[in-house]
Amino acid sequence: MRRDNIYTEEEFPSPLAELWQNFKQSPIVMVGFSCFAFLILFSIFSPIISPYSPIENNLDHILLPPAWHDDGNVSFLLGTDNLGRDMLSRIIHGTSLTFGLSFVVVILSMIIGVIIGSLSALTRGIKSSFLNHFLDVILSIPSLLLAIVIVAILGPGLNNTLWAIVMVLIPQFVHITRNAVVQEFKKDYVLASKLDGASSIRILHYSIFPNITEKIISQATLAQSAAILDIATLGFLGLGAPIPMPEWGAMLANGIDLFYIAPWTVYLPGLAILFAIIATNLVGEGMKHALKMQREN
Amino acid sequence: MATNFANLRFYRWLSSLVLVLIAGCDSQGTASLSENSVIYCSEGTPAILNPQLETSGVTIDATAKQLYNQLIAFDPKDNSIAPSLAKSWHVTKDNKKITFYLRQNVFFHQTEYFTPTRPLNADDVLFSFNRILDRTQVFHYVSGGKYPFFQSVGFAELIESIERINDHTIRFTLKRADSSFLANLATDFAVILSKEYGEQLIKTNELEKLDTQPIGTGPFKLKEYRAGSYLRLMPHDNYWATPSSLKQLIYDITPSNTGRLTKLLAGECDVIAYPIAHQKITENPLLTLESVTAMNIGYLGFNTTKPPFNDKRVRRAIAHAINKPAILNTIYKGDSAAEPAVSILPPSSWAYNDNVDTIDYSIDKAKDLLEQAGIGSDLTLNLWAMPVQRSYNPDAVTMAKLIQADLKKVGISVKIVTYNWQEFLRRLALGEHDAVLLGWSADHPDPDNFFSPLLSCASAETGNNRTFWCNETFDDLLQSSLDTTDMNARREYYRQALNIVADEMPLFPIAHSKRFQAKKHNLKGNILRSYGGISFEGVEKH
Amino acid sequence: MFILTILTFSLSFFFPGEHLANISGQINATPEQLELVALEYGKHESVLYQYWYYLNHLFQGNLGVSMNSQLPVADEIMSHLPATIELTLVALFIAMIAGIPIGFIAAIRHRKKTDNLILSFSMIGYSIPVFWLALLAILVFSIQLGWLPSAGQISLVYEIEQVTGILFIDILISDTPYKWQAFNNATTHIILPACVIALAPATIFVRLARTAMLSVLDSHYIKAAMAKGLNTRQIVFRHAIRNAMVNVIRDVGLQFANLVTLAMVTEVIFNWPGIGNWLIQSIYQRDYTAIQGGLLALSSFIFIVHILTDFIYASLNPLARGSKHAS
Repeated sequence: MRRDNIYTEEEFPSPLAELWQNFKQSPIVMVGFSCFAFLILFSIFSPIISPYSPIENNLDHILLPPAWHDDGNVSFLLGTDNLGRDMLSRIIHGTSLTFGLSFVVVILSMIIGVIIGSLSALTRGIKSSFLNHFLDVILSIPSLLLAIVIVAILGPGLNNTLWAIVMVLIPQFVHITRNAVVQEFKKDYVLASKLDGASSIRILHYSIFPNITEKIISQATLAQSAAILDIATLGFLGLGAPIPMPEWGAMLANGIDLFYIAPWTVYLPGLAILFAIIATNLVGEGMKHALKMQREN
Repeated sequence: MATNFANLRFYRWLSSLVLVLIAGCDSQGTASLSENSVIYCSEGTPAILNPQLETSGVTIDATAKQLYNQLIAFDPKDNSIAPSLAKSWHVTKDNKKITFYLRQNVFFHQTEYFTPTRPLNADDVLFSFNRILDRTQVFHYVSGGKYPFFQSVGFAELIESIERINDHTIRFTLKRADSSFLANLATDFAVILSKEYGEQLIKTNELEKLDTQPIGTGPFKLKEYRAGSYLRLMPHDNYWATPSSLKQLIYDITPSNTGRLTKLLAGECDVIAYPIAHQKITENPLLTLESVTAMNIGYLGFNTTKPPFNDKRVRRAIAHAINKPAILNTIYKGDSAAEPAVSILPPSSWAYNDNVDTIDYSIDKAKDLLEQAGIGSDLTLNLWAMPVQRSYNPDAVTMAKLIQADLKKVGISVKIVTYNWQEFLRRLALGEHDAVLLGWSADHPDPDNFFSPLLSCASAETGNNRTFWCNETFDDLLQSSLDTTDMNARREYYRQALNIVADEMPLFPIAHSKRFQAKKHNLKGNILRSYGGISFEGVEKH
Repeated sequence: MFILTILTFSLSFFFPGEHLANISGQINATPEQLELVALEYGKHESVLYQYWYYLNHLFQGNLGVSMNSQLPVADEIMSHLPATIELTLVALFIAMIAGIPIGFIAAIRHRKKTDNLILSFSMIGYSIPVFWLALLAILVFSIQLGWLPSAGQISLVYEIEQVTGILFIDILISDTPYKWQAFNNATTHIILPACVIALAPATIFVRLARTAMLSVLDSHYIKAAMAKGLNTRQIVFRHAIRNAMVNVIRDVGLQFANLVTLAMVTEVIFNWPGIGNWLIQSIYQRDYTAIQGGLLALSSFIFIVHILTDFIYASLNPLARGSKHAS
């Protein structure tokens, strides 16, 4: 959009826009970001892109190696597993399960976490300090362990895994929001609007949130890489996605028995997980770096 | 800076040197102790160390031929009945009185917890069988009080009395002639325990140790058992036949199929049970793949007490919907030894008859039957897939997945359930399942062994009949067959019984297969047996 | 710690099934026995009292019996926890001796090729799913190269009596004639799982060490030392490392929690007889008593390490001590 600047006015980008400016400077980070965007597209459109059904057995073509292998078949680009299911389709569908769901999970826990965090930042006294200590304990238990316990309570299954990971991630968001809000509240511009008679909620909404979004988003990318890993690990341990689902971790676990006859059933899902996590981490890294630049300016 | 890096390089070099040293020492080191130790990587944890109480193959493999002996045994060469603890026996003409003459100087194990003062005599035999038969015996109700094999063949109803004639002679009197009696005594379940040990346990009031810290006469004695991780056996130096030349025999419990193969390839196991990826083993010059024609049946059993599976139309519908050839191609692939099951009897049984009713693969028939039974499209089936590999079903979970896909076509959604083996059997006996993928390996050549333990009313009570199906006509047929020695008459009775099974469909037979095992070349001796569990007697390592 | 016990206590209510059975593990008990257990746990009184009884049991070291094996959970934990401690400590050690020096090197060569290379590798190392790495490690080192064993803590041919539970100590105090063989064998068994576990924490140590070193190198006293004409080597070895180390140590505790999680998964793959493996097996079997006990033990273990590293940090860094007293 073209903008006519009649006045030589210095434009201050919003913190988020500024973050983006800094963010896109590093080429490596941009590669990570495009991979990330690519994965998101994949997870949305997986049913359209994938050539075969991920769960339907095709017993005429079992254990085909990937196409570049001598015995491979071009119509099954990445080979098939022991039930003749196309690996490529399974991996594409797995994107929406492992990666896509981790994205949903992070957003969900972010919303809940931010609400609790900002509310708790406004309260003081016993309630607040109890919450603080409670969070400290929760944060000291490794997230995967906690997720495993919650799954143990709820029983194995994909839905339960997701809820478990949401619950595990919430404290991190509560923690970071709380700290950020408390920090911002001490600043002068908040004091100014307070003196204007603005209510806490109003201050939160108009003054504070725009200034802490970038911190929360940066935390979200960290949480996302943890969420992918947790979903995959739970799937691998057989506590997550149930059997026919092409969740990457569960696929890998399923491939273990074929390790010696069809190693690609183990390599491919592992590579997919690695790829998703690296992409996410690159974005997170870039975000962190951009935040740092912002602070330094 | 430069020295800093030099330092670092030095450390790297040092650490790699240490690594090499450690690895070097090790390869020479283990040799001296492991030279005479055999590690058998088994597929599951034995629930208890006494085969009287269990029919699970895991328990049998670990205990029956290692820790114990039976009065008589099957000759591994021709499967005829051969002497074991009884050096000879005599059967009266009416087949009702059987007298066993025991071997002299058979010694029980001497261990940290028990020192025998006398060799085996008739009292021990009496003690072992009374434990099963006599409800007033102190040990009868110890460890559950269920003797699944003996109850399923109606042992208690068969035996009139067991008498001790003298120290080394014992006589069984039967109420009626039973053509499978001797075979039943030669199975892995009919082990001989030590009465003296039992008395010691009564004194110390530790009755349950009879089954957890066992004493027997077998070629190996128990050293240590850690459930879920390993079982350590030592040779029995006073064994009545040739004592083993091994220093130790260790059962390394490795439920993961890949884990077992990895251990074999990495040299951590000498023998593994139920190997996968046969090709990988045959192409390795240091390993041998062995197989034995085992009499077995892999089946899909329905819990006939749970609605809607108590309706035979539903059971038949499911059977119609299962694509058996596809299962055989996928699950038993490469292990070409498997053949599709027509009935529960394998073709190698003398009573085999392919002139029995079968169920064909037909989705239409399945849908019709479901409609007749009034089943809508919202039926969910909890299909239990056993977690261990068995020859009759090398990969139950994958088989369950195939069935899941098959049944989806007729509108039944399948949930696959699995636990670890011990827990699986426990919950199965409670009847928590809708249907289960399981199987049965014969313990002796008599065809009755496929019928009574699997489908009789008596075994439904003990929980060994996981379908809980009980049909009186069927039971009568089995009984009539046992009462006669006329082979043709028996064959006909069994054919009728099989037709009842095909009609009622308490279980859907899937396949018969060979039993496989892989071992290192330097291990000599026959471990696999056609009937019952494995045996390490006479196995040597060079 | 206190909150932890509340948490595990409340777990027994959350788990499906009877609360009493969950907490005591008595599943096959007769009604009379059950009544006895009910009394013991104060079932007929208020929740607070029940919690008090639970605590009492805890202090007596009574965690109930496992629903599955019917063995006391406390005993099971005592036989499994040491193996995990051993594995995690070795892994932590490997992560530190590998990660920290590399991080320092990266900092010294800040913004040069080495630095970038190290950072990229640490990013990949950090992103590899541990179960996948473990499988690949087994394939390469156990199967293809045949250097290291693939599973277990020690070859089962060695019969080592469990005294402390820490295998290396047990071997040394045992009277087997094959002591050194056993020791070597145990060493080869621990290398692979420990390295697999160590990889991710090591990359974090690389980053921590790098950041710490950078800030130290940026500080005034280093500049002063440089101005005095000391060469880089002297500065790094005499001044920078010591000060940077202190900051790294502070985060060891936090990394430890991460390490234990990785160990849980790795134990399953390497069939390591540790508490993670045991806990995950208990989850498969829905053995709720065991899950509660295992969770409590594992979290307390992490907690204790936290406190320990805090102490070490305090003793290394006089500044932290001062501020602690002030607060």
